[in-house]
Amino acid sequence: MDFDFSSDQEQLRDAVRKWVDKAYSFDRRRSITAAGGFDRAAYKELAELGLTGLYVSDADGGMDMGPTEGMVVMEELGRGIVLEPLPQALIAGGVLGGYAPAELKATWLPRLTSGDALIVLAHQERALRYKLAACATTARHSADGWTVSGTKNVVPVADHADAFIVPAMADGKLALFLVERTASGVSASGYLTQDGGRAGDLTLEAAPAHLITLDGQTALEHAVDIGIAATCAEAVGVMDKTLLITTDYMNTRKQFGVVIATFQALRHRVADMKMQLELARSMSFYASLKLNAPAPERRAAMARAKVQLGQSMRFVGQQAVQLHGGIAVTDEYIASHYFKKLTQLEMTFGDTLHHLGEVSNRMQDTAGVFA
Amino acid sequence: MDLSFTPDEQAFREEIRAWVKANLPDDIAHKVHNALRLTRNDMQRWAKILGQKGWLGHGWAKEFGGPGWNAVQKHLFEEECALAGAPRVVPFGPVMVAPVIMAFGNKEQQERFLPGIASGEVWWSQGYSEPGAGSDLASLKCKAERQGDHFVVNGQKTWTTLGQYGEWIFCLVRTSSEGKPQTGISFLLIDMKSPGVSVRPIKLLDGECEVNEVWFDNVKVPAENLIGEENKGWTYAKYLLGHERTNIADVNRTKRELERLKRIAKTEGVWDDARFRDQIALLEVDVVALEMLVLRVLSAEKSGKNSLDIAGLLKIRGSEIQQRYSELMMLAAGPYSLPFIEEAMEAGWQGDFPGGEVADAPLASTYFNMRKTTIYGGSNEVQRNIVAQTVLG
Repeated sequence: MDFDFSSDQEQLRDAVRKWVDKAYSFDRRRSITAAGGFDRAAYKELAELGLTGLYVSDADGGMDMGPTEGMVVMEELGRGIVLEPLPQALIAGGVLGGYAPAELKATWLPRLTSGDALIVLAHQERALRYKLAACATTARHSADGWTVSGTKNVVPVADHADAFIVPAMADGKLALFLVERTASGVSASGYLTQDGGRAGDLTLEAAPAHLITLDGQTALEHAVDIGIAATCAEAVGVMDKTLLITTDYMNTRKQFGVVIATFQALRHRVADMKMQLELARSMSFYASLKLNAPAPERRAAMARAKVQLGQSMRFVGQQAVQLHGGIAVTDEYIASHYFKKLTQLEMTFGDTLHHLGEVSNRMQDTAGVFA
Repeated sequence: MDLSFTPDEQAFREEIRAWVKANLPDDIAHKVHNALRLTRNDMQRWAKILGQKGWLGHGWAKEFGGPGWNAVQKHLFEEECALAGAPRVVPFGPVMVAPVIMAFGNKEQQERFLPGIASGEVWWSQGYSEPGAGSDLASLKCKAERQGDHFVVNGQKTWTTLGQYGEWIFCLVRTSSEGKPQTGISFLLIDMKSPGVSVRPIKLLDGECEVNEVWFDNVKVPAENLIGEENKGWTYAKYLLGHERTNIADVNRTKRELERLKRIAKTEGVWDDARFRDQIALLEVDVVALEMLVLRVLSAEKSGKNSLDIAGLLKIRGSEIQQRYSELMMLAAGPYSLPFIEEAMEAGWQGDFPGGEVADAPLASTYFNMRKTTIYGGSNEVQRNIVAQTVLG
């Protein structure tokens, strides 16, 4: 049992932090949002750091790293509220590497690693909310291969993506496909999301598709769990910085002739934020360290983690605004955007109530970190 | 980063588990698993069993006759004891005063007091709080005046846990009223059989007398019972507070009580009520998160790193969760938690409990009892002040 980071992991953290500090200023972020919420150049910079290939194996030209490294990277991107969706690259690396046939891997993994291909998971459907067991999108097989038809909503940077990982029902069973955006029958819209990033709806009309796996359920759950662990780590970074911004402000802002950090009512709120942050960090560790566990154990761990993270995110975000006062409900101020990011992350890959239901359904007689 | 215990740690756990299984008396475990009342004899019986094995002072270094375990081993030991249904070790001797005697007492004091603590023979109490000194402990007034080769102690202590059984008591006493309140406090060991010591149990909400008032009326205490230097007692007390930090979260007992809560919920028929079960699920997440927090502190201690900023959170969270499980147990039983039948909280009671489920008898009492947890050991509000200090300066 050991929660220390290795020196390699610390170096990775430093490298990402340096990039965030130097290259991803709040001004740049603001201009990215103004330009639509996604910057391919910034995404490419992440790729140059090796991050898009983090979960891609050595053999496929990637970094061949594990969940702890993924966590370290996501914490740092969270600290900078980076809009470009690295979790999607982690998912693509994990899913294609783990489930796709060799020729699909050979085509896409090098491009994923180099940043030339942006691959995103397109699983959200109107009737599903956070359920993963089935969907309305269908797949058909013919002599020419597979085609997929259906609509997916709130797909990260849909209109910039090069390919989509798409769950669809094949003969009544969930399968997973890769669909290229330039394929016939594919159209993607685009809009801003609450955090200043970008998403879109994906419409597939008999779009040609590459089969990733017929055991779509297993692969999709794994994909979402990679996403949950990444989201938890990202949220920890966002909260870490949120608390820092808030306490800096409290030690500067004066009212009644003194800095507001001297008021006990506010100090106790800060103590509660610190509590929520550390519980969240603990459960983010837990999520990442369980990401390679057998599926039932992994799924249970992700649900527990997301319940804690969801509660923590909402508390830390809301209290940060309250402790700042009016400034933090302005669009101009940086902390406002941390709050929005936390709000969005709570609803990413399943919100608190959804995962509470998952925990509730899975409860056993004994429970703990090791049970 | 690694979430699993090492093979050595696993083997250690197995060894402890087997020993506890073989040595913990069934009747005591039964009481603990069902929150039935424990007698002085129950507690001391277990203490002496541990003492004989050399594990009552399980946090002690080898040079003082302890096992010399590291933070993780101590945690594993406590977890195995808690899950098996062992009573909590009464901490005042082995966990609280012994480390102070080791760190600041002289050789004679160590030789005189430590063996009785290690064996479980001598029951120790703590004399800290006073009617006018709770969270503001440094304002304490109980006075010790030096008169030749002894001190004369006058004043009152209160909230002395299980003080009615106490044979010795370690006290913070005022030996000087000059300077800051903290600089006039001394750490004194007092034989509770001394003339002038009187103890009055205080009946609490659960009907039991868990705490006491202790009066000192011209009590003569030999000067050789002073620990360390006069007026340095506050430093020693703070050292004690910094000791055994993960212990206070009590996550191991909480895991056991979560299991009990689930049993109660099933018996009471609320397990299948999603509204109720979700509350248990929420608690389950809280417990896992607390355990992770504890493991992080242990890991930091093992590798010699400073974890002060998170260790301060353990008492707050641990106590809140204890209150929550006791609350949910009571709510699960609902109206059947209301009858206050004290005999039904004793082991072996053969009467008819209303509704027929005698396990419901202690639930409300436990809930009432648990209100103490956010008050004692430095109230949670004081703890928040400390946490805020680490974050805000």
